[in-house]
Amino acid sequence: MKPSYKRSSIFSMCWVGAAILAFSACTIDPIPDPNNPSAGEITKNASLGEIQNLVTGIESGMRENLGGYLDDVGVIGREFYRFSSSDPRFTSDLLGKGSATLDNNTFYTTNPFESRYRVVKNANILIEALQNTKAAISEDQRKAGIAYAKTIKAHELLMVFNLQYSNGIRVDVADPDNLGPFLDKDASLTAIQTLLDEANTDLKSSGAVLPFTTTLWSSNIAGEFSKLNRALAARVAVYKQEWAQALTALSESFYSLTGDLKTGSYYLFSTAGGDALTALYYPQNSSGETRVAQPSFITDAAPGDTRLNKVSKRDQNAFVDGLSSDYDVWVYKTNTDPMPIIRNEELVLIYAEAQAQSNNSTEAIKAIDRVRTAAGLVNYSGATDAASLINEILVQRRYSLYAEGHRWIDMRRYDRLSELPIDRTGDDVWVEFPRPATEN
Amino acid sequence: MRKTLMRVLPFFLVMVLPAYGWAQFTVSGTVTDAQKKPVPAASVRLINTNTGTSTDAAGYFSLTLPGQSATIEISSVGFLSRTIQVTAANNKVVIELQEDLSRLEEVVVTGLATSVKRSNLANAVSSVSAKELVGTTSQPTLDGALYGKFPGANISANSGAPGGGISIKMRGITSIVGNSQPLFIVDGVYYDNSSIPAGLNTISKAAGQGSNSNQDNPSNRIADLDPEDIDRVEILKGASAAAIYGSRAAGGVVLITTKRGKSGKPKIEFGQSFGMQSQLHKLGQRSWDATKVEAAYGANGLNLYNSVNGKTYNYEDELYGNKGQMSDTRLSVSGGSDKTSYYVGFSHRDDDGIVQRTGYKKTSFRINLDQKIAKNLDLSVNSNYVSSRADRGYFNNDNTSTSMGVSFVSTPSWVDLHPDANGNYPNNPLAPSNFLQTRDLITNREDVNRILIGGSLNWKVLSSGHHDLKLTARGGMDNYTLGTTAIFPPELQFEKNGNGTNGASIYGTTVAKNSNISAFAVYTFTPKEGLNFRTQAGVTAEDINLNNVLNTATQLIGTQTNLSQAGAIKVDQAKTIQKDRGFFAQEELNLKNIVLATIGLRGDKSSRNGDANKMYYYPKASLAFNIHELPSWNASSISQLKARVAYGESGNFAPFGAIYTPLVPAVFNGTTGSIVGLTRGNDKLGPERQKELEMGVDLGLLKNRIGVTFTYYLKNVEDLLLNVEVASSSGFTTAWKNVAAIQNKGVELGINAIPVATKTWKWNTQLNFWKNKAEVTRLDVPAFNTGAFGATLGTYRIEKGKSPTQLVGIGTADDKVDPATGLAVFGDAEPDFNMSWSNNVTWKNFELAVLMHWKQGGKNINLSTLLSDIFGTSPDFDKMTLDPKSQVTNGNYRLNALGTTAGPWIEDASYFRVREIGLSYRLPKEWFRNLAAVKVGFSGRNLINVFKYNSYDPEVSNFGANAISSNVEVTPFPSAKSFLFNITVTF
Repeated sequence: MKPSYKRSSIFSMCWVGAAILAFSACTIDPIPDPNNPSAGEITKNASLGEIQNLVTGIESGMRENLGGYLDDVGVIGREFYRFSSSDPRFTSDLLGKGSATLDNNTFYTTNPFESRYRVVKNANILIEALQNTKAAISEDQRKAGIAYAKTIKAHELLMVFNLQYSNGIRVDVADPDNLGPFLDKDASLTAIQTLLDEANTDLKSSGAVLPFTTTLWSSNIAGEFSKLNRALAARVAVYKQEWAQALTALSESFYSLTGDLKTGSYYLFSTAGGDALTALYYPQNSSGETRVAQPSFITDAAPGDTRLNKVSKRDQNAFVDGLSSDYDVWVYKTNTDPMPIIRNEELVLIYAEAQAQSNNSTEAIKAIDRVRTAAGLVNYSGATDAASLINEILVQRRYSLYAEGHRWIDMRRYDRLSELPIDRTGDDVWVEFPRPATEN
Repeated sequence: MRKTLMRVLPFFLVMVLPAYGWAQFTVSGTVTDAQKKPVPAASVRLINTNTGTSTDAAGYFSLTLPGQSATIEISSVGFLSRTIQVTAANNKVVIELQEDLSRLEEVVVTGLATSVKRSNLANAVSSVSAKELVGTTSQPTLDGALYGKFPGANISANSGAPGGGISIKMRGITSIVGNSQPLFIVDGVYYDNSSIPAGLNTISKAAGQGSNSNQDNPSNRIADLDPEDIDRVEILKGASAAAIYGSRAAGGVVLITTKRGKSGKPKIEFGQSFGMQSQLHKLGQRSWDATKVEAAYGANGLNLYNSVNGKTYNYEDELYGNKGQMSDTRLSVSGGSDKTSYYVGFSHRDDDGIVQRTGYKKTSFRINLDQKIAKNLDLSVNSNYVSSRADRGYFNNDNTSTSMGVSFVSTPSWVDLHPDANGNYPNNPLAPSNFLQTRDLITNREDVNRILIGGSLNWKVLSSGHHDLKLTARGGMDNYTLGTTAIFPPELQFEKNGNGTNGASIYGTTVAKNSNISAFAVYTFTPKEGLNFRTQAGVTAEDINLNNVLNTATQLIGTQTNLSQAGAIKVDQAKTIQKDRGFFAQEELNLKNIVLATIGLRGDKSSRNGDANKMYYYPKASLAFNIHELPSWNASSISQLKARVAYGESGNFAPFGAIYTPLVPAVFNGTTGSIVGLTRGNDKLGPERQKELEMGVDLGLLKNRIGVTFTYYLKNVEDLLLNVEVASSSGFTTAWKNVAAIQNKGVELGINAIPVATKTWKWNTQLNFWKNKAEVTRLDVPAFNTGAFGATLGTYRIEKGKSPTQLVGIGTADDKVDPATGLAVFGDAEPDFNMSWSNNVTWKNFELAVLMHWKQGGKNINLSTLLSDIFGTSPDFDKMTLDPKSQVTNGNYRLNALGTTAGPWIEDASYFRVREIGLSYRLPKEWFRNLAAVKVGFSGRNLINVFKYNSYDPEVSNFGANAISSNVEVTPFPSAKSFLFNITVTF
């Protein structure tokens, strides 16, 4: 009898052991994030709706810290002062007050950097999603969608480059575990140009409809969107001093010498809950948080220049940290005014610049006069040598593109930062921002 | 079929033969204690078998045994077990049991499937009995009732708000960002202990400026369990004891066993407590004169002050002086037959808080059933329904000066906040809110309905002298609905006239559906007398599903609070879904009760890990050596001497969501899109791992009248998670990484003794001492500040080589500032040591129980003082005790330090308190014709408190049960003390 105990108990233990093995082998279905769509899932097989969400996310994200970027460029470019009761660093660090320098781990360095790369990340996710989606889109649409994403990436990377300049930027950032190298200054710009050109290959003269809607351009046809791509390519070309390429790009862009100078691509804003307000808008006569014009913008202006309506006389002088101004920056009149990404007025001036540099003074002056006339000024009557024309073009760019993020970059590419006004003894004009601490 | 029957038959015969075969005899008798009183429900068993019975209410038993003689073992909770020889001739016995003074015989539940006698335990597992838990005084919540009753834990109330909110940390810091609270298991059912905020942040804006942590001060859900239902609590403090619970056990495990019926006639217990609670420590108010008013509030304030002609109000009494009525009614009926036993418990509690319109109500109903289905098959079922409501007021930090606490310290006593005859409240002229109006008009309520059902089925497959096999299946579910209601009507000062959002009605619901099932086998093999192997193995599965929806309605229409009667509504939803699967196996060896060795392994996989199907293993091993059991042992004064060592590992999950890289909503141009979140999830994330080595000695002296337990532990918590900064060109600013480690070292000492035990007098005393030291041993990222409100006011700092709870801040040369960081160390939130001393003295029918608790050291960041200084209302503002030169008043001294040093706000939070005191008298039974036992008495909680800390209570946490960054005070709901009259009647 006794062995039967053992046998049955051994049998039972085997049974239990087998149950454990069977149980351990059974798998747990991974639970997808119950609260949010995840980047990992959306890249596998996105629906058209999810692709649209990524595009909307990109166009929303492009506005993030836009104000911070324009403050960086505008304050160092001595276009305006940024007064803030909550943070003294706008008037100390950015203007190089006393021994103050730009810090590599402070908001003015890190925020615009992070936000631009966040959009780049979203664009990379969009590219992967478009590559893998099984939604009903044609091959041309897929390509056009990817070209849209590359165009956005190029634009965002150019903004990072504008702040980082000789530090260069990372362009290959698709794999967060294996980030590409920092390219040098020239290679960075070339990489941005390459991105735009690659994109344009798939956009140019394509009749495909983008597989989503975009607010960045008036048409959803790839061949039409190409005009925005080329406008950005023209901007990059003049930064690279490739005048011929700039003219070619312009000819394929929405450039129009006679057209509305305001035509272009814009960031949109609204008062809807959760949406962003115009990044550079403060009401007139604000105190505490405000942007006021650097006084030379008014004093240097040609008499009768209607572009002085971009500033507004304050009821009371604004005075902070030894800096003073009687004028508010008044480019945007409401808190939902759109802000330009790139517009025809810049293209006209790029045309002027590229022609002047190519010693075609007649074409250059034609463009200059287009802008001068629009500003209520008489036609250009100065010297027609390239150097004089470039001087004139820089003045026109200063007033036409006031507070749109150009002055500092323009003066830098012509090596004229030393000509920017110094407000206080000991102030500095910075050439570029330090590379963010977390990148080192 | 026939063949099968033929095979089964011998097996069947073996099972039944012992009961029917051969010679047998019946033994009967009575079991009594040393005072010759009968011991009911004692177990009487043929040694090493399951053949047995239990005694009835008169202590009588009768048992049929095989053969002509046998050894029977008699055991009962609280007594030392005895074995005696009985024969067919000597079959009438009277057995006197000795009280188990050192609780060595106590059976301690330690594992999923088995329990161990305390004398054979290799871990320092603490147990708290029902008597210790609620025997002295009535307790609103379980966690509150555990204070000071065992060594090795820091238990701290987050505030005095009714309905709980308590943090328990076992043996130091076990996580930095993850869960640090223990796992609660009630009769085998995993018990959710979430803290779910009510969305007050919409009003308080506490998170956002300088702190991103929610400061809503919610209660934690263990509060739902009725302490009166609990029979005993076992506390597994570290991984060495809790390894078998695997990846959720790093914070320790609290095993709760509820009361069950015993066979015998129905036992009816009725209890009623009623009493009152009041503010634990009053601070008083500053006295004012014109000079002080002008200094604090300027000319405007002075005009106001002059206009009231010196009339002042005692706002501390008005706000915190409510005499909160407390009532607790309990009724339980238990009993059973030899096959069925039951326990039915009902309780109803209704406590008013020390602030008007706050309070806690709880109704609990429980049925526990045990049924013997067949000779070898038992079924146990537990069910519990709880309905509770806590009105918690509106306190703690805010950034809008609207919480009653902040408003109270920003209002001097000469401002009149009282409503006029028509009930219209004046605006507070000096602050954005009128706290009397706030108190009278707002609602901040938690309503819980909770059902807990559990059951287990035990099948004794085999039972003989040598082989014993038991299979158990167990399962349970824990479902609750928590409704949070926060109503801020539009007529509040801070909601009307363009302030605030013109009222807010915030309604949250959380539906929790958790379940767990497990099955295991326990096989005991006894090859010969004194040698015993026990093998167990099993599988477990736990599912968690928590769905939290928070609706925030603002721009309310008139007096409506209905969510649809609002101009704007915002909805937030957060779901937590988790599936865990695991197995365990364990082998125990018992050699003559001298050597006790255990090895075990738990394997767990979970959807909370990056790889849901990766198995993580948690091993354990332990060895206990009962030296006094050696045959050669003859030191008669030392009745027990045990050396023990145990090692184990356990895990802790990352915060929910850390494995996901979410796309977050981005609103744009009338639609919403998706943009990649700022934090990169880690899809390779594994649990944090704790490795604990524990060793100790247990000593019993003078026939175990004195027991000493000493334990040393070394606990390394590895792979601690942090949300670290990453290269932002990746598109992310932070990412989850396992980058830190913490080491905890500590000692625990318990001494229990019975100094006096005579016929009329008995004195039982227990002294506990515990101390923990923690150090960050690995940190792959630069040292960083965390928690509280920045270095100016004092903050925590995680730094390699330092305590994870060190408190640092800006400082002057006197504070020894580190020139590299600009920070000075002002102390540590961790106490130097804790000590508790409980005493129970009985004299004839009187019983006095006192529990004292001394926490030495440990600092708090006290920002209530800062706020009251800023508004000039500090009660000690005009005293001159701080300035070494005695020139500047305390208030000004502290204010002068603001921005220079954080020193004045980092205060010693030592305290001594009499946590519980109870005096009861057992009325003579004859008065009730022996039908009922009636006990009457008085009891109190927190009646005596001694501390220097400059606020209501050093036990406080603005940030709830956070792993780090508790011990911060910002105008909390003050703590209360309570005084109760109790009566219990037992039939």
